[in-house]
Amino acid sequence: MKHASWVMGIVLLAAGQAGAAEHVVKMAGGAYEPAVLNAKVGDTIRFVNQDADWHNVFVPTAAFALDLGKQEQGAETILNLTKPGTFEVECVQHLPMLLTVEVAP
Amino acid sequence: MRNHPMRTIVAAALVAMALPAAAGPERITWPAGFAEDYVLYLQVDRHDRNRVRFMYVNPEADAQARGGEALPDGTVLIMADRDAQLDSDGNPVIGPDGRFVATGDFTNIFVMEKGAGWGEGQPADMRNGDWDYAWFQPDGQLKPDAQYGGCFSCHAYRDERDFTFTYAKFLIDQGR
Repeated sequence: MKHASWVMGIVLLAAGQAGAAEHVVKMAGGAYEPAVLNAKVGDTIRFVNQDADWHNVFVPTAAFALDLGKQEQGAETILNLTKPGTFEVECVQHLPMLLTVEVAP
Repeated sequence: MRNHPMRTIVAAALVAMALPAAAGPERITWPAGFAEDYVLYLQVDRHDRNRVRFMYVNPEADAQARGGEALPDGTVLIMADRDAQLDSDGNPVIGPDGRFVATGDFTNIFVMEKGAGWGEGQPADMRNGDWDYAWFQPDGQLKPDAQYGGCFSCHAYRDERDFTFTYAKFLIDQGR
């Protein structure tokens, strides 16, 4: 019976991972695209800079704040969504660039 | 008319007191005890450098700003770095709150302070209002080889928020 529980755990874990999604956010034309993103815990966001200028992923929201660093043209960064809530993403260099991410449990 | 030496000394002292301190990190005082005495308002996980940055503000400025006033002269904002704890694969350990786990003591302490008229001592093309910057080592000494051009050029991107990347946004998010 203990073995069955262990197998069930593996199955549930695999099912959970299969449900995780990767969202792509483009940095293009001096904007994040899309500007609003709905995701859930376990998902990832891939940021792709398609502009000639550098951008970055800077989150100033309390309890979520982070910085992925300077991102040159063509560079990609990955952000793992580890907890539910809503946060904003700004580019350090371009204040009008704004992305709102809503993460469901 | 003979000038008494003491009169000359007093006059020189008065002039020195009236002049703003020369621009540069030397006019910023090491904020001893900041980790205990200042308000910790934000933690920023620096993924590209495996660091955790702790953001502080002096309590007097924080009280005024939360009351709706502009950041006053004498405002001190601190960005203090600690290393992120790494697992056996070299990846940052994530705590139960979903954030990096800091380890060890502070490694670098970056201070920005606002002083009356301080901006007047800066070249116009790099002036950040009346803010100036200093980079301290953990022992309270200024980092000897520090360059400050990057502080001014980067913070200039947030001129709409009084040149702050996190504190003004923190106030906005708090509903002020």
